[in-house]
Amino acid sequence: MRTLIFAAGLTIAALPALAGDHRVAPVRDALVQKECGQCHMTFQPGLLPAASWERMMDKLADHYGDNAAVSAEKGAAIRAYLTANAGRDRRGGTPSRITEARWFTHEHDFPAPVWKRPEVVTKSNCPACHQGAEQGLYDDD
Amino acid sequence: MQPKTQMRLVRLWHAALVGGFAVAYLTGDEDTYAMHLFSGWLVVGLVALRFILPLKLNRPNRPRYFTWSILAALGMAGAAAVSGVGADVLPWLEDLHEGLAEMSLWVALAHVAAALVVFKGRKWLARLKPTAVVGALVLLLAASQTALAADAARDAILATYAGQAKAENPAFAGFSAQRGEALYRAKNSVNPDAASCAACHTDDPTRAGRHVKTGRVIEPVAVSANPKRFTDAEKVEERFVRDCKSILGRACSATEKGDYVTFMASR
Repeated sequence: MRTLIFAAGLTIAALPALAGDHRVAPVRDALVQKECGQCHMTFQPGLLPAASWERMMDKLADHYGDNAAVSAEKGAAIRAYLTANAGRDRRGGTPSRITEARWFTHEHDFPAPVWKRPEVVTKSNCPACHQGAEQGLYDDD
Repeated sequence: MQPKTQMRLVRLWHAALVGGFAVAYLTGDEDTYAMHLFSGWLVVGLVALRFILPLKLNRPNRPRYFTWSILAALGMAGAAAVSGVGADVLPWLEDLHEGLAEMSLWVALAHVAAALVVFKGRKWLARLKPTAVVGALVLLLAASQTALAADAARDAILATYAGQAKAENPAFAGFSAQRGEALYRAKNSVNPDAASCAACHTDDPTRAGRHVKTGRVIEPVAVSANPKRFTDAEKVEERFVRDCKSILGRACSATEKGDYVTFMASR
């Protein structure tokens, strides 16, 4: 019995190893977490190539219609983190939105009603479907 | 091993397990996640150790129900801790983990009650009393201190806004929760997506809201539902600067900010 319980414990602890490979390195930087995570999920830098992040950081005052300006000092630190941890340049260029990247549209080819679910609100709301999105886990598809 | 040494080791193990569980139980918040992880792993290790070591659970002088209370407490604490390890990687396990943790607290208390009955309380209570009383007092004090510290921080923020409000308007005579509520619910025309504070925070500020544009879940604003609200002056000011601009199309006065905080503190 003891051995059984212990074995069960070990099995559960080892579960994560079973998961697939839809993972992105989570954001470890406290400033990025705080500043980028106020209005939306803190998107992982690996989701866009460096050139896309550079362009976004250049025009934070018009951030998809909202003013998301930060002080020059904070902006530089955030820019450095995003570009240092950015994703590879994929064929398909440097999209302005994660949701316009080719790999994204390829994996999210859903009928319209899926996007209209009340909890979704917008395509960039990853955690609406991917519960582990904030931790960089997108295995649950 | 000498029985005396063994007893000492068992006690040491017991103290470590109780301590690890208590710390893990109290540090479930995001802010103390490192402590929570550490103490959780400690519980996993100690429970596993107990099942590995060849110690008899059922001694002749122990009633059956006491042995069961030990097994239940160990099993529940172990399940809570292991599910926590799982939830660290698979967030959907979080609800299960929280449920198990809550249950294991009650099972542990039942084990304490069983122990008190079995050992007739006397011997242990006599020895434990001074330590237990001091321990309970320290715990109570610590708990009330955290709540008091949050209240003090909020009062300080309100005091700052009150000073500014007086400078803005010499007739200022204190903040009002009613005015704060009116501000919260008032419909504006600047932002068609978010006409009022309530558009994102819902009509009931004790409930979680949702950002109308990004869909991000927003924790409750009401202090009763979320005691951490309005305790970080810099963050509070930052939010007022951004949200007043996007909802009202202008900056908020100090009176409005204080009214808003007063309304949320009353909810």
